[in-house]
Amino acid sequence: MAKAKTNTEDYLRMYRQMVRIRTFEDNANQLYLSAKMPGLTHMYSGEEAVAVGICEALTDDDRITSTHRGHGHCVAKGAEFREMFCELLGKEEGYCRGKGGSMHIADQSHGNLGANAIVGGSMGIATGSALRAKLQGKDDVTVCFFGDGATAQGLWYEVMNMAALWNLPVIYACENNGYSEYTRTEEIAAGSIMARAEAFGIESHQVDGQDVMAVNDLTRKLVDRARKGEGPFFMELMTYRYHGHHVGDINREYYRSKDEEKDWKENKDPIIRFRAWLVSEGIATEEEIEAMNAEIEKDATEAVAYAEKAPYPPANEVDMHVYAD
Amino acid sequence: MREITLSQAVNEALAEEMRRDETVFILGEDVAEAGTPFKVLSGLVEEFGTDRVLDTPISEPGFVGIAVGAAMTGARPVVDLMFGDFIYLVMDQLCNQAAKQHYMSGGKLTVPLVLRTNLGATRRSAAQHSQSLQALVAHIPGLKVALPSSAYEAKGLMKTAIRDNNPVVIFEDKLMYQDKAPVPEEEYLIPFGVANVKREGRDITLIATSSMVQVAEKAAAMLEKEGIDAEVIDPRTIVPLDEATLLDSVKKTSRAIVIDEGHQSYGVTAEIASRLNEKAFYHLDAPVLRMGAMDVPVPFSPALEDLTVPTPEAVVENARKLCAGELIHAA
Amino acid sequence: MPHDETSGFRPHDVTMPQLGMAQDAGKIVSWLKSPGDAVSRGDALFEVETDKAVMEVESPADGFLTGVSYGEGEDVPVGQVIARISDSAEDDGAPAPEPAATGKASDALPEGHTVTMPQLGMAQDTGLLVNWLKAPGDEVAADDILFEVETDKSTMEVEAGRKGFLAATLAEAGEEVPVGDPVAIISDARPEAPVARSAKDGGAPPAPAAPVPAGKDTTEAPAKPAAAAPAPKAPSARGGRILASPKARRLALEQGLDLNRLAEAGHPQPFHVADLEVLRTMPSPAPASAPSETPRRLTATCAVDGLSAFVPWAAETQGLAPDAILAGLAGASLGADGSVTVVVERLGLTRSFSVPPGRSLSAVAETDDAPALIVRDLRGTPISTVALGSEQTPVLTVTDAAAGLVITLECAASALDATAAIRLLTEFAGRMEQPLRHLL
Repeated sequence: MAKAKTNTEDYLRMYRQMVRIRTFEDNANQLYLSAKMPGLTHMYSGEEAVAVGICEALTDDDRITSTHRGHGHCVAKGAEFREMFCELLGKEEGYCRGKGGSMHIADQSHGNLGANAIVGGSMGIATGSALRAKLQGKDDVTVCFFGDGATAQGLWYEVMNMAALWNLPVIYACENNGYSEYTRTEEIAAGSIMARAEAFGIESHQVDGQDVMAVNDLTRKLVDRARKGEGPFFMELMTYRYHGHHVGDINREYYRSKDEEKDWKENKDPIIRFRAWLVSEGIATEEEIEAMNAEIEKDATEAVAYAEKAPYPPANEVDMHVYAD
Repeated sequence: MREITLSQAVNEALAEEMRRDETVFILGEDVAEAGTPFKVLSGLVEEFGTDRVLDTPISEPGFVGIAVGAAMTGARPVVDLMFGDFIYLVMDQLCNQAAKQHYMSGGKLTVPLVLRTNLGATRRSAAQHSQSLQALVAHIPGLKVALPSSAYEAKGLMKTAIRDNNPVVIFEDKLMYQDKAPVPEEEYLIPFGVANVKREGRDITLIATSSMVQVAEKAAAMLEKEGIDAEVIDPRTIVPLDEATLLDSVKKTSRAIVIDEGHQSYGVTAEIASRLNEKAFYHLDAPVLRMGAMDVPVPFSPALEDLTVPTPEAVVENARKLCAGELIHAA
Repeated sequence: MPHDETSGFRPHDVTMPQLGMAQDAGKIVSWLKSPGDAVSRGDALFEVETDKAVMEVESPADGFLTGVSYGEGEDVPVGQVIARISDSAEDDGAPAPEPAATGKASDALPEGHTVTMPQLGMAQDTGLLVNWLKAPGDEVAADDILFEVETDKSTMEVEAGRKGFLAATLAEAGEEVPVGDPVAIISDARPEAPVARSAKDGGAPPAPAAPVPAGKDTTEAPAKPAAAAPAPKAPSARGGRILASPKARRLALEQGLDLNRLAEAGHPQPFHVADLEVLRTMPSPAPASAPSETPRRLTATCAVDGLSAFVPWAAETQGLAPDAILAGLAGASLGADGSVTVVVERLGLTRSFSVPPGRSLSAVAETDDAPALIVRDLRGTPISTVALGSEQTPVLTVTDAAAGLVITLECAASALDATAAIRLLTEFAGRMEQPLRHLL
């Protein structure tokens, strides 16, 4: 059950998780820039409050489905740095034995049904997980993360329709970061995003995605109600991604101004905001926070070093797990 | 032994598995009260309730995607896709999601899902309701594909499919639903990857799938009168494929024709013929022939539609020529 | 984030970052900090030009900028270390930047990238430098031809492989240069004193860190030869190709049936297993019991002349003469119990060898005894087919074919029976195609 977040530990944990995500992404970005990471990845920096605010309202039994921008959800749902970095580098000790990579990273033990490289590809999976919960009389809830760009996929409307018809315990969480790849959201989504869910009779909420407490409060309430069968629900979280669409999207002024990026980074950063709140409420001192940051930095550095040295899967792994036994 | 229709056989298989395992459930269009337009599922919702036989809106990608998610989290859905032609709609959920989750997760996630659909032309349903698309899904690593050729196969393969922990696509021949065959009362399963030699012979091997098995059997009966002894083999599943049985047969007869109702080009017959060529080359006294549906969209007019699928007569003619050493294609 | 003081400071490398998916080098437009400057993590250190715009590269840590090894205007490959962030301004702990190739070893040679004699063909380990197409001091583009090399088949053009100036030539026209040895140096900047040397001078520098063999791709075999060697064609049987099913061929082979006879009899092709019946009932050629007066003549084809590649290797490693080798292979093909004398006729010369039983070619020695077998080596002559009639001793004649060889065995019917004749020719042809199998 979601606990009321009234104690220090939980606040600190939320802060910690956000910093962990930011640190993870910084390191992942560095791995890409120093040409050590195969393929591409998609940075979540800037959106930490969304993943953390939501996942802190869930248990390990609750499921999430993630997107191509999935490291944030993965960390927020309880994943460890080492196995994540190993997966990004294609090493055997990764969560998927190196066979999924950044875009398909999944951590079943914590209820993360996986990142998905197909935009909107996991909406069916999330809804199906919720159907299974209802059919089997379980009270776990499934959160479906997706971006504003995915609202253009027909699958969302199909599954929302069925979720609403069958009152499924699924929460559709739209991370609206203002851009669908290299195009502004206004140019790809007609009308209102919330109204889309409302059209199916699904209760919808919009929330400031950079305010981790607001996100968490809203999620806890919706999760509790979903467990009781009042779902599905829709949340639109207004947020911003600091990096480009993917790590190679470096020269992006043609679609997004540096001024805009600066504004979000300096004036709306979720970590800075929450830190200030923690300090002003006397929940943590600056020194304690610095110490926490340093420790997380160290963890990440060690995990990266570990992952760099870790072995690749052996050649005979290539045709394993095509079929389950 | 009692004889039941293919439709009844499928119904029995589902009912038995749903009784046996409460995580098995059915979803699709018109599956509940209507029992599907083909009436295969009649009676199931009465026994198991709407929690386990769910009617969906006309949202193929949606409900296949939902089935994938349910399968990934502990249920065993059987999805009814009303016509095999609709498989194009669900390819992302089937081939990008279901087929690959086990591999992409390094073996941690499984998708025990069954997609029940059909194939077969000559029903005057025209181009978009008459296709046999097994080749499309057989091509994708991670999927298994079963092609029952009679009521007996339908029941045994369906039970195996439901118990298999992988995504399985079963194509039933929509023209055979009322065809009867002997089906035991006692429980039985037909394993995947085991072909069935329906008729032994010495002169030529006829490998046929699904709807074409009857065509091959009729051809064999006609050939017998001409003194040609044909062996007829039904692979039953094309993924996994029982190569060993097919190769043994061809080594014995030195000649083969592969018959499938998918299109002639780039299909199931091409794959099987290739394997025979690669692995039984030095035993072949004639080229391995492929016989599939014509490479045309299925026409509506009966006069035309019936020309597009392999017939027993066409099989006989080819078999006769191969046995006589006549060239079908220029040397 | 503050740097971690608890775990000790380590100097950080500043590398050329990955810039975009298709770019593998970046040009430094300007330095925004100087060597020795104190910098904080996140400070912009320098600007890089990418194919779309100019990008700033940030410092990965707090510290001092040291070990700067590339300047403004220089192109740096992605991943290359450009500088370090150290804990003191004097710490020049930077490893010397890896040069792509510098001629450090010899003072007399200009700095630049070495061009080596490329791999020319499997059996060739030196190349004759025929002529230079560029002179020392010339500016060259990557795909300019630098020099021509003669291989055993043709003349091959060798490209510069990189843009720059021909700073030094290390071999003269007409000289043989071993494969892999340096032949030229290409510098990035115009050389002040271009050098021309002979390979005999021995002054070529030892291979530097990453010599660039001529050609675009260092992993490929030689760059385009002037005339590509044709792929060996399937050997064409005398009388044209026979069409038959795989099973018919296999059974014919197993049962010692000759499909040629069926073809010569005009039986319609392609042949199937049923046609072997016809072949079986065809009257056989002269019954084996009555010795025939007709001389025997058999031909065999080899897809490749395996011997010509084998001989230089055997000469070099074992000190074997080509004729001795030929004699050895032929003698072994007779399969006799004791020693066999084989005469080899080539280019008008006749030499006689004693070939002991066993596979040792080095045991083949010259002798004066009368031969049991004669090998006529007509490779390299225009003669393609022989029908010289049988002589007292069986003769194996080797002639060149369009690709590979034709070997003809002629002997009197009494000299070798059919089986022995077939065996001799089959064995010899096999050895000529793959001499190494003889040694197994």
